[in-house]
Amino acid sequence: MTNASPSLAHAPHHGRVLQPASAFISRAAAHVGTRAVGLLLPLAVLYLWQTAVDREWVAIQLLPPAELVWQSLRDLWQSGDLTSNLAVSLSRIGWSVLIGSAIGWLLGFLIGLSRTARAYLYPSFEVFSQFPVIGWIPLLIIFLGIDEALKIAAISMAVIVPVTVATFKGIENIPTRLLEVARVYCFTPRQLLLRVVLPAALPSLFSGFRQGIMQAWLTLVFVELLASSEGIGYLMVWGRQLMQLDLVFVGLIVIGVVGLILDLSLRRLEACLQDWRHDNKQEQK
Amino acid sequence: MKNTAKKLSWLLGALALLQLTAPVAQAEEKPKEIRIAFSGAGAGGRPLAGGSSLATAHLRGALEEEFKKDGIKIKWYFNVGAGPATNEQFANKLIDFASHGDLPLIVGRSTGLRHKLILGQGRFGETTFVVPANSEAKTLADLKGKKIGVTKGTSGQLTLNRVLERNGFTERDFKLVSLDAATIKAALATGDIDGALTTPYDLIARGVAKILFKIDRDSTLTSVSNFWVGEEFEKKYPDLVQRVVTAIVKEAKWSSDENNRTELLKMWARQGTTTYLDYAESWKAYKLKERVSPLLDEYYVNRIQKSIDEVKHFKLARRDVDINGWIEPKYLNVALKELKLEHYWDEYDKDGNIKK
Repeated sequence: MTNASPSLAHAPHHGRVLQPASAFISRAAAHVGTRAVGLLLPLAVLYLWQTAVDREWVAIQLLPPAELVWQSLRDLWQSGDLTSNLAVSLSRIGWSVLIGSAIGWLLGFLIGLSRTARAYLYPSFEVFSQFPVIGWIPLLIIFLGIDEALKIAAISMAVIVPVTVATFKGIENIPTRLLEVARVYCFTPRQLLLRVVLPAALPSLFSGFRQGIMQAWLTLVFVELLASSEGIGYLMVWGRQLMQLDLVFVGLIVIGVVGLILDLSLRRLEACLQDWRHDNKQEQK
Repeated sequence: MKNTAKKLSWLLGALALLQLTAPVAQAEEKPKEIRIAFSGAGAGGRPLAGGSSLATAHLRGALEEEFKKDGIKIKWYFNVGAGPATNEQFANKLIDFASHGDLPLIVGRSTGLRHKLILGQGRFGETTFVVPANSEAKTLADLKGKKIGVTKGTSGQLTLNRVLERNGFTERDFKLVSLDAATIKAALATGDIDGALTTPYDLIARGVAKILFKIDRDSTLTSVSNFWVGEEFEKKYPDLVQRVVTAIVKEAKWSSDENNRTELLKMWARQGTTTYLDYAESWKAYKLKERVSPLLDEYYVNRIQKSIDEVKHFKLARRDVDINGWIEPKYLNVALKELKLEHYWDEYDKDGNIKK
């Protein structure tokens, strides 16, 4: 009982210090609240992972402890293996996005601008877009072998569909009044394309491009799991073959993080583009 | 206080009694099945194997015959994913016995898998580097930066590393593409890879590949194949382990008999990846006895130790492996005595020469 009095005496003092602090914390908590809630699930997964390792629910050979994964991630980063494999993967993405979106834009513009092209091409394109890329791979292997060409072709195919659809829809959704105005002013086809169609369809073009890149990233890993000698997917296969499952986890983490960065930065770019277009409109008024 | 002590001693006594009776209570019921894995499968994944006494035992139904009277089923696994898949399977406690090449065996051991090596499954042989028929390469150096096919994580990778090192190269000088055994042959035929270690004779007969170089007989290059039992199973059913080993040694004897050569090689060829022609040509320089030997002699032990060292040297495993206590020859010795085969197979010294 005697012990209680000093702490009581101190209590008001503590209270005064705590009040602003707690207010700050609660404000901060409110600020990050929504994000913090989002962290709960990953933390729970991490906890479950650790528990599974501690209690050996899964053999240690198959479920490596989180520290080991972290350690391997750092080792791979320091030895440069991670960056070199990532560079290979990203260059595959680069080429595929270049080829895939070029074809996608071309198709999208053709279908969007010409009724004839649309009548001829669109039904076939719709059928084509129903096939998952993975379904094409056995056929592609026969014609392209197992080399780089296969990977680029397969990833490009994944890019073509969203880019074409977004381009086509973007053009289709251009308000008819804009086109009417253009007709009134007797725009040449070139003027029509550069002054009306392109600016109006730009946001959908870009959003198709973004979806294309994300599709490419998702397809990449699958394609690299097939015969390859470099890349992030290859790193994962290698880890599994030598029973270093931590490498598989490192691969997963890298894929997730890079995918997230790609998506966030492209969204950001898209938002900037929207703003710029908005500003332009304001000026024009 | 005295009362508590009395109670405690009662409790301790009861516990001690339980301890004594426990082993008796859980002893020796027989398993429903014995699960055995091959670290490989036939062409297109067909459930067949070749090239070892275990394959002969499977093809001739020797183990099924041995355990029929006990009502124990033999469950065979043919792992398309080869040796690495066998490791995953064992870590998941899905198998009791397996045949395994040296690299995945050592990699598995380095991650803490507990098994005992109880039987040799094959040794020696020729090592052939094969290229597509239209290849212009004259030496290995001409293939620098080109694609070499290998099943990563299998003994083939370790052998390839040895061959490369002898020629002054490492894996990094080439593009290594991981493919399974059947696909390596197909990829050589289509020119999708520029070279691989494999048996070439069927491909040559079809005119789609040729030999870049061949190393005929080199006991320091070829690895030994292995057969192990999981420690848990061994502890529980040592008598069953003995019967499995004895049955396989009997098949090793049959597989070593030159009178059976054609029949044996035809039987092994049924898995489809290594054809009869491949076997006939690549085994013709050897007596069957030399290659099929189940012995765990000095040569066997030394090869395993060498492979352990090489796995470390080529950085293919993270932790070291200790050979002490890993090899358990007692089942083999009992089998040899029982079958009166003690002197049937020659013992080799550590360098691969017959001991006098």
